[in-house]
Amino acid sequence: MARVVPRPEMTLAEKAYIPEILRGMRVTWSHFLKGFNEPETLPVQSYPEVQWEIDRNYRAKHRLMKRPDGEPRCVACFMCSTACPARCIHIEATESDDPRIEKKPAKFDIDLLVCVFCGLCAEACPVDAIRMDTKVIALAADTRGKFVATKEQLLDWNPADYPASDTQSQKAPGGLLNAEARARWAQGDAT
Amino acid sequence: MSNSYNKPVLPKADSKKVSIVVDGADVEVPEGTNLVEALKTIGIDTPHFCYHQDLPVAGNCRQCMVETDGPRGMGLAIACYTPVRPGMKVATDRSSEKVKTARKAVMEFLLANHPLDCPICDKAGECTLQDNYMSSGKHESRMREEIGKQYKGAPEHRHLDAKGQDRGGKHIDLGPTVILDQERCILCDRCTRFMRDVAGDEQLYIAARGDHAFITTFPGQPLQHDYDLNVTDICPVGALTGKHFRFQQRVWLLSKTETIAPDDSLGANITVEHHDGHVWRIMPRRHPDVNKSWISNATRLLYQTLSENRLTGGSFRGADVPLADAVERARELVHGARKVALVASGHLTLEDNAALLALAESLGSRAEVFGGSWLAVGAPDGIARSGDPVANRLGCTLLGISDNLSDLVRRAKEFDCLVVAGHDLWAADAERAKSLSVIPERIALSAWHDATAQASTLAVGIRAWAEVRGSMINVQGRIQRLQAAPTAPTPDLEPAWQVISRLGHLGWTSEVDAFRFAQGRIPALSGLNYRTIGSQGRILEGVAP
Ligand code: SF4
Ligand code: SF4
Ligand code: SF4
Ligand code: FES
Repeated sequence: MARVVPRPEMTLAEKAYIPEILRGMRVTWSHFLKGFNEPETLPVQSYPEVQWEIDRNYRAKHRLMKRPDGEPRCVACFMCSTACPARCIHIEATESDDPRIEKKPAKFDIDLLVCVFCGLCAEACPVDAIRMDTKVIALAADTRGKFVATKEQLLDWNPADYPASDTQSQKAPGGLLNAEARARWAQGDAT
Repeated sequence: MSNSYNKPVLPKADSKKVSIVVDGADVEVPEGTNLVEALKTIGIDTPHFCYHQDLPVAGNCRQCMVETDGPRGMGLAIACYTPVRPGMKVATDRSSEKVKTARKAVMEFLLANHPLDCPICDKAGECTLQDNYMSSGKHESRMREEIGKQYKGAPEHRHLDAKGQDRGGKHIDLGPTVILDQERCILCDRCTRFMRDVAGDEQLYIAARGDHAFITTFPGQPLQHDYDLNVTDICPVGALTGKHFRFQQRVWLLSKTETIAPDDSLGANITVEHHDGHVWRIMPRRHPDVNKSWISNATRLLYQTLSENRLTGGSFRGADVPLADAVERARELVHGARKVALVASGHLTLEDNAALLALAESLGSRAEVFGGSWLAVGAPDGIARSGDPVANRLGCTLLGISDNLSDLVRRAKEFDCLVVAGHDLWAADAERAKSLSVIPERIALSAWHDATAQASTLAVGIRAWAEVRGSMINVQGRIQRLQAAPTAPTPDLEPAWQVISRLGHLGWTSEVDAFRFAQGRIPALSGLNYRTIGSQGRILEGVAP
């Protein structure tokens, strides 16, 4: 259904155009002059030397979560690659060595050039094995092949970079909760 | 438990109809069959686990409940073992709350100790338990969390019997091909019925009783049979999985191409299941008069050869050459030769052999066609193999190709060019094939780097059976269709008929041209096309031997 959008009423000064332009230029000029006198107060950052603080919830590069013994949590169920609209997750499954676990990924590649960072993989994972909370958003490489993150690369992260409140990350080797989780894991507690 | 005599009576196209009342409406259904089949003919699916069209009825899962009228009024009965009776009243879940509740209750019991394995279960996506939960379960769990499920993967559930055989757990190696996960088994007893009544070798049985019952093999014995992988298809859940396909792909990713098995003259109906240009498995496709629901392990594992040792280009005197050059060179050789021997093949389609005949025609008296095979012919096994490894033998015979390979061996010296299409003569009988080596120019059209391709002076790659469209005539005189899965190792590879058409300047652009040529040679094919042959094939009148 068509809808009539009324034009805003303009005053004579606004209709004259020039005064409004000058008003806009005043903002520009005031920042420009401030840049000479007191640059440290400017509302800008010297990117890339200074990086913007990214929220943990921001969908950044993926990582694969680890069990207390360092093995990937991933059970190679293909839910993420099924959910992936860009079809950029390539998994090959194999038998797990741990009798409690059925399968594990032999290969887990994410083509980050194809990835659309929608987060559906992390959403789909039934075991919280894949996350996108690394805060790594600027990716650079000199060949296409190097944009393919392999299982080893995705598993290569440090619990120290994650907050203490992130208990799943802290249960991984090197984490604050690892010793305790490892002991329980060895006794058969798989949580 | 089942008996081998109570095979279900299935409706046929010409079955007599009787009228019964379903959910208050008068309907006509085939006489003599059971209610699962009868309701299917009027478009009502009855959820079931243990019932299978090609197995004796066992009636143990109780999922197929409907209400029927009896001496004491309407009451619950299992649809799979209740025969249709003229005038009977039937109530399905569409009209009866009682049926709904009964089915839901069965579902609840089945899932009581069923693991939450779907994400890692190879059956997920084609699992009857998942389907039936969606159609007739959908209950909230009433299991108390603090008690939890009985976890059969736990060490205490594992026990070895006196012969050291593993009798429990989630990963039981039953034999060379199959792995059992007891936790997922719903004890429908389809696998044991298959082994007993179809394979004829009772290797599986249900041991113990009640909640403790489990599927196992006899002490110290493996599950090992030429058809044992069929149990992984009929297992409605992910309890039995084939080692060849375990963890390979999720089934929902697979696209299916309906075709027929090329390794036997019964031409078992199969689907080739592929994803990303790669064939991941072969599954049986039900045909009531050919292979029922079964295929042999050998047929099932044929897909593995599709990516092994393929001839993707050409090779001339041992050196690799591009495909187009190889075809060009073959054409020069054939046309420059004084006398050409063309060897047709019952492993190739009617279309390919028709092309060979057309090539011979175009070469006139310079060419002679030979046919037949040196492979040993066995006896039918009564399940899904006729024992004759030459799939299209009858098709070749009908095309007028005679069984005269021995003539070729005897008269080899008369020829100066040999064309062998899709026929591994050197592997079949190297001794006899050796005498063909006196022919100076030997051209092999082959999908594989096989012995014949190696023994030839020029080898030209062609598509394999799973990658071509065409038809074959099986031992029953049934013409059946092959369809092409998009899985050729390189897109340049052409089917044999197309390569042969290039050799003879036939100008054929599709397999339809080849089929038309075959129709000219086989009167029984007149009026047929790929659509009318259909997915179930057609019996050709008066051709079966
Ligand atoms: S969804 Fe999770 S567990 Fe499944 S394959 Fe992906 S990362 Fe692994
Ligand atoms: S058999 Fe497998 S797919 Fe089916 S319900 Fe059980 S775990 Fe899920
Ligand atoms: S293993 Fe499968 S086919 Fe055999 S009884 Fe169990 S569920 Fe049925
Ligand atoms: S299908 Fe009828 S009882 Fe199992």
